[in-house]
Amino acid sequence: MIFNDALKWALQSLAGQRLRSFLTILGIAVGIAAVVLLTSLGEGVHRFVLGEFTQFGTDLIGITPGKTSTTGVSGAVISNIRPLSIDDAAALSRIPRIRDTVPVVQGNAAVESGPRSRRTYVFGVGAAAPKVWQMAVAQGRFLPEDHATGSRAFAVLGSRVSRELFGGANPLGRRIRIGGERYRTIGVMAAKGQMLGFDLDDAVYIPASRALAMFNRESLMEIDVLFAAGSNADKISARIKSVLVSRHGSEDFTIVTQTQMLDVLGSVLGVLTLAVGAIGGISLLVGGVGITTIMTIAVRQRRAEIGLLRALGTRRRWIMGLFAIEATLLGGIGGLVGVILGTGGAWVLETLVPKLPTHTPMAYVVLAEVLAAVIGLLSGILPARQAARLDPIEALRAE
Amino acid sequence: MRTTDVIGFCRRAVSGYPLRSGLILLAMAIGVASVVLLSTLGEGTRRYVANQFSSLGTHLLIVLPGRSETTGGPPPMMGQTPRDLTVQDAMALARSTAVRRVAPIVVGSAPVSVGSRQREITILGSTANLLPIRHLAMAYGRFIPAGEISRADAVCVLGYQARKELFGNRSPLGRFVRIGERRFRVIGTLSQKGQSLGVDTSDMAIIPVASATALFNTESLFRILVQARNRDAVSRAKRNVQEIIRDRHDGEDDVTVITQDALLATFDRILQTLTLAVAGMAAISLAVAGILIMNVMLVAISQRTAEIGLLKAVGATRGQVLTLFLVESTLLSLLGTVVGLVLSTAGVLVLQQMFPEFPLAVPWWSPVAATATAVSTGTLFGMLPARRAARLDPVTALAEK
Repeated sequence: MIFNDALKWALQSLAGQRLRSFLTILGIAVGIAAVVLLTSLGEGVHRFVLGEFTQFGTDLIGITPGKTSTTGVSGAVISNIRPLSIDDAAALSRIPRIRDTVPVVQGNAAVESGPRSRRTYVFGVGAAAPKVWQMAVAQGRFLPEDHATGSRAFAVLGSRVSRELFGGANPLGRRIRIGGERYRTIGVMAAKGQMLGFDLDDAVYIPASRALAMFNRESLMEIDVLFAAGSNADKISARIKSVLVSRHGSEDFTIVTQTQMLDVLGSVLGVLTLAVGAIGGISLLVGGVGITTIMTIAVRQRRAEIGLLRALGTRRRWIMGLFAIEATLLGGIGGLVGVILGTGGAWVLETLVPKLPTHTPMAYVVLAEVLAAVIGLLSGILPARQAARLDPIEALRAE
Repeated sequence: MRTTDVIGFCRRAVSGYPLRSGLILLAMAIGVASVVLLSTLGEGTRRYVANQFSSLGTHLLIVLPGRSETTGGPPPMMGQTPRDLTVQDAMALARSTAVRRVAPIVVGSAPVSVGSRQREITILGSTANLLPIRHLAMAYGRFIPAGEISRADAVCVLGYQARKELFGNRSPLGRFVRIGERRFRVIGTLSQKGQSLGVDTSDMAIIPVASATALFNTESLFRILVQARNRDAVSRAKRNVQEIIRDRHDGEDDVTVITQDALLATFDRILQTLTLAVAGMAAISLAVAGILIMNVMLVAISQRTAEIGLLKAVGATRGQVLTLFLVESTLLSLLGTVVGLVLSTAGVLVLQQMFPEFPLAVPWWSPVAATATAVSTGTLFGMLPARRAARLDPVTALAEK
C-alpha cells in the first residue's frame, strides 16, 4: 500500500461520517482558535509595551546614582551622599561615539501664568533632550546650550500644559512662574501622548541646574546617554564606567542600557504570553480527548473493515498507520480551521476595539498548526493500537 | 415512566460503554478542574497581595510631596517639590484627633562600612513610631528611641540582610558602623521579614530622622506615614492632613494623600478582573467538552436506533425519548464535573503542600460557576442529538436492524 492510498482511505472515512468528523474538527478548531487568539493578544500587548519604551530610542544608556544590582528604584535616586552632577554628564559627552547626554532631575511644582495655575511635572534637563528622547518641538525652540553655571530662566511647555495655561493663545515669549520662580516660555513640545498611564504632555522642561536649585538638591536623578547607532552598548557602558569611576573614586552609580531593560521586560512579557497560550491550550487538550473518543468509536464500528484488510495480508503497523493518519488529519484540519478562526477573531477584535493591540506572528500560526496535527497524532495512538491488535478472524465475525 | 427508570436507563447506557464514557468524563473533568484551579490561583494571588498590604500597616495614609492634576495618572512617586515637606509638617499632623501615629520618612542610599566590609544599602530616616506603624519586628536589641525628634542621635537599626552581610554571625549590638562619613552605634536588628511589595525591608539601615536629614543634607521628607485612629477615622484623617498641610504651606495644596484602603481596592479590582478573565479562558475548554458530548451522543443514537424504535413502538412518547437522552448527556457532564472537582481539590492540596506560604483559597463562585457551566453545556449540546432521537420514526428505526 502506498502512502497516497492510505491518505485517500483516511479522507474517505472522514467524509463518510461528515457530522461526526465536523464536530471533532470543531472541537480542535475551538481549542486552536483560543490559543491563537490569546497568544495574539499577548503578543500584541508585548509589542505595544516594547513600542512604548522604544519610542525614546534604543541607543540609550541610563545612569542613576547609587550602586544597585537589582533593577528598581533605589533609595539613592531620592537622596544620596555621592551625587551625580551636571559636570559628570558633561564629562560623559566627551567620550567618543557618545552623541549626547541629558542630565535629568524630576519634580513636581505649580506652574502659573497670570491667574491660571496648574500643578504638573517639572523636568530639569539639558539642551539635547529632544534629540536623546526623540521628541519634537512644535513651536519655538528647545532650551539653549547654556553653561551649567549660568543657565537662563527659560522654560519649554508640554502641549497639555500649554493648552491648560494659555488655551489657544500663543505662549511663546510669555512669562510664567514655576514653583514661585519666573521663567520665560520659549517653546512648546509636540504632543506625545501617554506612556503606560503617564501623560508625557503634562510636563514642563527647564534647565537642569535651575531645577537642582529649585528643588534644593545636589544630585541628578539620572543621566541619559545617546550613543551613535550601531555602536556596541557594552563597550560604551564600560567606558562610561571608567570615566565616572575616575571622577568619583569608586563605583557609586548604576548603568542600565536600554537593551538590558528591554530584555528584562521582553522576557517577562514573553512568559505572560506563554501562560495565556497555555491556558488556551487546555481546550486543545480537551479537543484531543475528543479525537481519541471518536477514533475509538470508529475503530469499534469498522472492525469488519479492519478484519478484511488484515485477512488480505495488511500488516499490523499499516493498520496502525491508517488510523494514525486519520487522527492526524482530524487534528490538522481542525488546526487549519482554528487558525483561520483565531486570526480572524484577532482581526475583528482589533477593528472593533482599536485600543486593544493584537498581533499574530506567522511563526505562531505555523506552530499552532503543527501542534494541532501532533495532538491529533497523539490522540490517535490509543485507538490505532486498538485497531492494530484486532484478531482478523474475530474482527471479520463481528458483523 | 418513573424518574428511577429514567436514571436507571441512563446509568446502564453510560456504563455500557466504559471507555467512551470515561473519555467524556475525562474531557469534562479537565475543563472543570482547570477553571477551579486557575480561579483558585487568581484568588490566592489576590489574598497574597491583600496580606502584603495589611502587613504594611493598618489604617495607613501615605503623604507624598507634590501633586499632579492629571486625574487617573500615577501619583508623583519621587516628587521633588520647591517647598519641602518637612519634619515640622509631619509633627503638625499629629495634632489631628483622627491621627494616632505619625512617622516621617527620609530615604536615601549610602555606603555602610564595618572594618573593611562595605555595602551600599538603603538608609531610612524615621522615628520610633515607624516600628508600630509598619508592623516591623525586632530580632535583637531595641528600635530607635522615642524622644526629641530634632536630636540627631548616632544610633542605627540594621535590617536582617544588612546585618548578615556586614557582621556575618557576630552580634552587631553595641558596635559601630560607618554610614557615609558618620559613625553610628548599632542598637538593634530587625527580624527577617523579607520583601513586601518590592521594597526590601531587610537590606536597609534605619536611623533617626534628624540624622538622616543631616547625612543627606536635605530638609525634605520622602513620605509621611500616618496611622489613623481606626477604620472610620481614615477619611477624616485624610481631610485633616490636607487641611493642616494647606495651612502650613500658605494655602497651597501641594501634597498627595493616598489611603491604604484606596490602594488596596484598586489592586483588588484589577486582580478580581484577572481571575475572572483567566477562569473564562479556561471555560472555553468546557465548550469543547460540550461539543464532544454532542458528537458522542449522536454516534450513540445512530448505534441505538433499534433500541429507540423499540421504545417508541411500545408507546414511549417523543417527550419521554427526549428526556431520556437529555438526562443521559446531563448525567455525563455532571459525573465529569464531580471528577473535575475531586481533581481540582487534589490539585489545590498538592499546591498548598508545595507553596505553604501562598494563601490558596477556592473562591466560592468558581466551583458553582464551573458546575453550572459544565452541566448547562452538557444539556445544551445534548439537545440536538436528543431531538434527533425523539424524531425517529419507530417503523424505520426498527427496520434498521
